[in-house]
Amino acid sequence: MATERKKIRLKDISIRTDEPLITVTADDLMPLPPPLDQQGKKAPYSPLSENQKKSFECSLDGVSALALPKPKNKEEEEKLVARFLSGLRKLLSQNDNWPFWQPLIQSLESCVRCQTCSDACPVYVSSGNQEIYRPTYKSEILRRIINKYIKKRGKIITKLTGDDIKLNWPTVARLAELAYRCTLCRRCAQRCPLGSDNGLIGRELRKLFSQEMGIAPKELHDSGTVQQLKVGASTGISSAAFQGMVEFMEDEIEEKWGKRIKIPVDKEGADILLIHNSGEFMSWIENPVAFAIIFEAAGLSWTLSSEIYGYEATNYGTWYDDVQFARIALKQVEVARKLKVKKMVMGECGHAHKGLIVIADRILMDEMNFPRESFLPLLEELVCGGKLRLDPQKNNFPVTLHDPCNVVRLMGIVEPQRRILRKICPQFREMEPHGVENYCCGGGSGFAIMNSMNFKEWRENISSRMKLKQILETFNDVLDSGIRKYVCAPCSNCKGAIRDILSSNDLWEKNSIYYGGLVELVANAMVDMKRPYIDWEWH
Amino acid sequence: MAKANLGGMDIEIDEDGFIQEPGKWNKAVAEDIAKTENASPMTEEHWKLVNYLRDYYLKFEIAPPVRMLCKQTGFDLKYIYKLFPGGPAKGACKVAGLPKPTGCV
Repeated sequence: MATERKKIRLKDISIRTDEPLITVTADDLMPLPPPLDQQGKKAPYSPLSENQKKSFECSLDGVSALALPKPKNKEEEEKLVARFLSGLRKLLSQNDNWPFWQPLIQSLESCVRCQTCSDACPVYVSSGNQEIYRPTYKSEILRRIINKYIKKRGKIITKLTGDDIKLNWPTVARLAELAYRCTLCRRCAQRCPLGSDNGLIGRELRKLFSQEMGIAPKELHDSGTVQQLKVGASTGISSAAFQGMVEFMEDEIEEKWGKRIKIPVDKEGADILLIHNSGEFMSWIENPVAFAIIFEAAGLSWTLSSEIYGYEATNYGTWYDDVQFARIALKQVEVARKLKVKKMVMGECGHAHKGLIVIADRILMDEMNFPRESFLPLLEELVCGGKLRLDPQKNNFPVTLHDPCNVVRLMGIVEPQRRILRKICPQFREMEPHGVENYCCGGGSGFAIMNSMNFKEWRENISSRMKLKQILETFNDVLDSGIRKYVCAPCSNCKGAIRDILSSNDLWEKNSIYYGGLVELVANAMVDMKRPYIDWEWH
Repeated sequence: MAKANLGGMDIEIDEDGFIQEPGKWNKAVAEDIAKTENASPMTEEHWKLVNYLRDYYLKFEIAPPVRMLCKQTGFDLKYIYKLFPGGPAKGACKVAGLPKPTGCV
C-alpha cells in the first residue's frame, strides 16, 4: 500500500530539521517493464549511517552527493549564508558572469510556471513525481530569493505577495544538494515554450557553490579538474603511462587486425588531433583501438598527443565551474596549436563535445579559436563514403542507439550516427523517444562517476531509471538470453552509467544485453579483421 | 577521515575503505583489507594480481587499464571477480593499496 505522501511546498526548503524533506520509497518509483517487472520492491537507496547523518548535510532527500559538512555553530552558518548571497549577486552581474549571464537571466525571467517541463524530466517522472525534483522547484526558490534579498524593496514586496522564502542555512544546504539531482540533460529546456533552461539554472547554482563557497563533489573537483591540471588527466594518467598504453594498443591491433602498425603520436602537422576521454584508456581501451584501426584503414593523416593535457578530452568544469573550465580548455587547445595540426576531433565523449567545441567558443579568442569538431561527421564520411570495406552481416544482432544529450540535443548531431548504424547493423532499432527527444542515461553532468555514500544507488534507481526502461522496451521481443543485444552509447559517461544499470540488474547474465561505443561496431564490421572485434566479454 | 586497524597499524581510510596513506601498505595490510573484501585467505593467484597492480602503480602512480590487467595476468574479468568479488577497481586495487580510480571509468 502506498502511504499518503506529504505535500512539499516551496517554503519547506527552509525548514530546520534533521529529517529529510522527503525519502523516495519503493512505492513511489516508476514501474519497469519485463524482465524487471517482477522484482521485489526495494527502496531506491539505503539510508545513510548514523555517523554519516551526524556529519553531513542530507536534509533534502536523505542522499549526500557532496559530503557537505554540517556547520559547527550559528556563526559559521551565517557566514556561509552571506557567502551564498554575495555569490548570487555575482551570478546576476553581467560583468562577473559574462559567460552565462544572458541565458541565466532569460531563464529566470521567462518562466510562467506552466509546468510543461515537469513531464519532460526523467528524474521527476522516475521518482514518482517528487515535488523537489520538479525542474522548476529549485529555480522558483532561487527566483524568490532573488526577488526578496537582491531586488529593490524585495522584502516588502515578497511579504505582500506571499512569495516569501527564508534564506537560511537549511535552504542553502538543500539547494547545494538539489543542484546535484538534475543531470543537466536539458530536456526541460527543449520542452519549454519560452526557452527557459532549468538545467542551466542548476548548473549556475553549482558554479556559485564551487567558485564562491568551495563546495563541489570531490569526484568532479579534487580528483577531477584539480588532478587534471596537475597530472594531465582526470584519470591520473601521466604522459609516461599514456605512452605505455599506446604500445598496449598496438599489440591489441596486431592481435585483432593482424597488422602491426605504429599509432601516430605527437605527429606535427597532421590533419587531425584525435582527443579521447582518458577514461576510455582505463576502462574501454577497445574504443581508442577501434578509432586507430579505422583511421589507419582509411589512410587519414591523424595523431594522438602524449603531451600533458593533450590526451584527455574531459573538462569537468563544464558541469560546475567556469574558472576550472577555462584553465583546462586553454591548455588543451594550446597542445593542438603547438602540434600545428589542422583541427581537433573529439572522440566518443559527450561533455567534451559540449565543453571544448561549444562552450569554449566563449573564451577562445583570435588564434586560440582553433577548429574543433565532433568525430561523427568524419566517421560517417568514412563508413558511408566507401573508405572502408565493411560487411554488415558481421553485426547481425539487435542494436539500439543511446543519444548522448550533449552531442544530440545540445549540438544537433542526430543523423550521422544513424546513417552509420543503418549501413552496418542490419538489426538496428531505435529507442522511443530518440534523437533530440532522447532521455539522459542518468549519469549526465558527472553523475556516472559520483559514488559518494548512497548517491550511486540514487543514480541507478532514479536518474537512470528511464534509460533502463527504454532499453528493456526496445529489446522486449528479443529478451531471450540466446540472442546477444548491443546498446550503442557513443559517450564515456553514458557508457559508465549504462554499464552500471545493466550490471546491477544482471541484464547481461540473464538477458545478454551488452553495451559499448559506436566505433567498435564499425571495426566489428570490417571485412579484413582477423577476429571478431567485439568480445562480448566486458560486462 | 576514519581510521582502521590494518596489519597492526592505524591507517587512514576513505569512505569506501581505500587506504589514504600508501606508504603504510605491506602484505599484512593487504591480508587485512582482503578480509573486508571477501577475498581471504589470499592465494597465490590473489597475490599475482595484487603484485601486478603494485608494480604498475609504483611505476605510474595509477592502476593499469583493466584490459591490460587481464592480459598481463592471464585472468579474465570473470575470474578477477571470483578472486575479488568487489571487482578489479573496488576489490583488487583496494587490497593492493592503490588509490580509488578517478575520472570517467
